[in-house]
Amino acid sequence: MSDAGGFVYKRSVLVLLAMIAALWFALSDLRVEAWHGLLPLFEWMETTPFGVIGKTWGWAFATVEAFHLLAMALLGGAVLVADGRLLGLVLRETPARQVQEQCHTLFVWSLVVAVFTGIFMACGVASKIYYLEVFWYKMLALSVGVVFAFFVRRPLVAHVYQVPSNTIRLVAIASVMIWFSVAATGRWIGFSG
Amino acid sequence: MNELIHSVALWLDTHGWSTALHESYYMYNWIESTHVLTLMLSLGMLFLIDLRMLGLALPNVPARSVAQRLNVPMLVGFTVMIITGLLLFYAIPVRTSQSLWFRIKLVLLVCAALNAFAFHRRMKTAPAGWDLARRAPPGLRLGAVLSLVFWALIVLCGRFIAYDWFDCSGEPSPFIATLAGCVPGQTQF
Repeated sequence: MSDAGGFVYKRSVLVLLAMIAALWFALSDLRVEAWHGLLPLFEWMETTPFGVIGKTWGWAFATVEAFHLLAMALLGGAVLVADGRLLGLVLRETPARQVQEQCHTLFVWSLVVAVFTGIFMACGVASKIYYLEVFWYKMLALSVGVVFAFFVRRPLVAHVYQVPSNTIRLVAIASVMIWFSVAATGRWIGFSG
Repeated sequence: MNELIHSVALWLDTHGWSTALHESYYMYNWIESTHVLTLMLSLGMLFLIDLRMLGLALPNVPARSVAQRLNVPMLVGFTVMIITGLLLFYAIPVRTSQSLWFRIKLVLLVCAALNAFAFHRRMKTAPAGWDLARRAPPGLRLGAVLSLVFWALIVLCGRFIAYDWFDCSGEPSPFIATLAGCVPGQTQF
């Protein structure tokens, strides 16, 4: 293992500890206190132009929702191809690092569109989602996904040829599962409340 | 024609399984979630292929290789979407068959399928070495743009089906009523 690889592992362990701390926060009384403190923010969100548009015009909300779905589809495609390559399932004849770099650009752009459209939608139904447990699970999954993608997966994949292949495979499987959780909890928001 | 579609939908609606599926909170939502989440596999792969043709994704990977390698997972995704889509229709046949957005979605699906067929034909007849270029030849690029537009509209119509803006029960204008397939004197759902 190279020095670079060792550094990556150290940082990954720190991020994993941070994620465990976030999980502990999510399951403790501190979360309830923070939740009460966030109510004014959600009430304000409904009064913003996004909130007013989302509540007033159903077609605007549905159109933004469709773009949210399209962005999630592209994000899913980028994640599946990048992780599928790490697992040796797709584009095996193309160097892994090349696929990772090019998929990462698509991932970032689709994430930006998904987050932006997601904020618009959240403003339109802020007082509803505030009380939905599944919304907070989605936020937790999204936070874990972003931290994992940028601070665990990306540094490890940058050293894809030095890191043990089993570690890379585990990272790829975890990445697919995390982003599936983000999409699934998001879908379930529509069925709740 | 609309009367015939309406009678078939009414017949489907008499099936016990249709009612059971519609009234099952978890089963219906599981099927709908699977339908939507499979977008990440089917459309995800399709978008990557289309964007590769436009030179916006994986520009250093041969375009033919991207299209061939991602074709299988994409088709698996579309198969799941067709099965779950049929089940969703079976659960609510009358209202869905009379949804203007569902009808537009079906037309767009046919357009997307024809475009995909033409796209593959063009790919087979394209001159050798085309797939190493950053951007595909104009014919394939046009096919990729049409594919992106068709699928964006299909997703949009799919979202709009959930809304009752032009439902027959809302007494739409005669033009919309004809397009949506409303039948005079029909039982409202």
